[in-house]
Amino acid sequence: MPLSAYLIMSAILFTIGSIGVLARRNPLIIFMSIELMLNAVNLAFVAFSSFLDSADGQMFVFIVLTVAAAEVVVGLAIIVSIFRTRRNIDVDEMNVLRG
Amino acid sequence: MTATQIAFFVLAVASTASAIGVIAFKNAVYSALSLILTLLFLAMFYLQLGAMFIAIVQILIYAGAIMVLFLFVVTMLAPEAGGTEEQDRMPWQRIVGSVLGLTLVGALSYLIFTGTIASGTKADPANSLSAMVAKQGDIQAFGLALFHGFLFPFEVTSLLIVVAILGALIFGRRA
Repeated sequence: MPLSAYLIMSAILFTIGSIGVLARRNPLIIFMSIELMLNAVNLAFVAFSSFLDSADGQMFVFIVLTVAAAEVVVGLAIIVSIFRTRRNIDVDEMNVLRG
Repeated sequence: MTATQIAFFVLAVASTASAIGVIAFKNAVYSALSLILTLLFLAMFYLQLGAMFIAIVQILIYAGAIMVLFLFVVTMLAPEAGGTEEQDRMPWQRIVGSVLGLTLVGALSYLIFTGTIASGTKADPANSLSAMVAKQGDIQAFGLALFHGFLFPFEVTSLLIVVAILGALIFGRRA
């Protein structure tokens, strides 16, 4: 398969993730859409690594994977603590800064 | 149609369908399960591209650890949070989001097909990955690249993980 096929696949997954971020109100699903965007970028990195015959793309994917894991941990901790204080996690209701 | 092309198209259709399932399901648990399916299909893409270690790490870490963490939080919060999606104060938000998303994918596809993004991609024979894989094997080639060129980022990610653990501990304390 040519390189552009994998890049189109990455673009489609990235767009589906961005539509999820824009159109959903449950922050857990927004977070999952962000993870989908990260995975789409990982696919583009691995495709370039294969077609440029270099290991740098896979190294970037390794680092992105680690950063995504750390981000999920902290992000979910934030969502859980918001739920503890407000009992509601709808992002449309999160319009004041103090708890 | 070679077997590789058939496999690519099957994987493409399946991963697009499960990705749409992530954003379309009302139930957050179904969304999380769809995301796990999408991650597994992406691991098969990585196998097709020859990134063996990344494919296995994707299944072990992403689908096996990160998504399990997601499912813990989703099953803890889902019953209370699922009922709020009915009162939609901005019903045009979904349409505008979809239109903007279609604009994004159209622009990216145009750039990819006219060769702006993928033109001039030539392999550099100096640090050739396929030569290293042929000489040493897949995992050894990945390990050599990681610890010869990317040792400092590797150590910094361990620091990042410590910071993430501290953040989770602080957020998890009883206020």
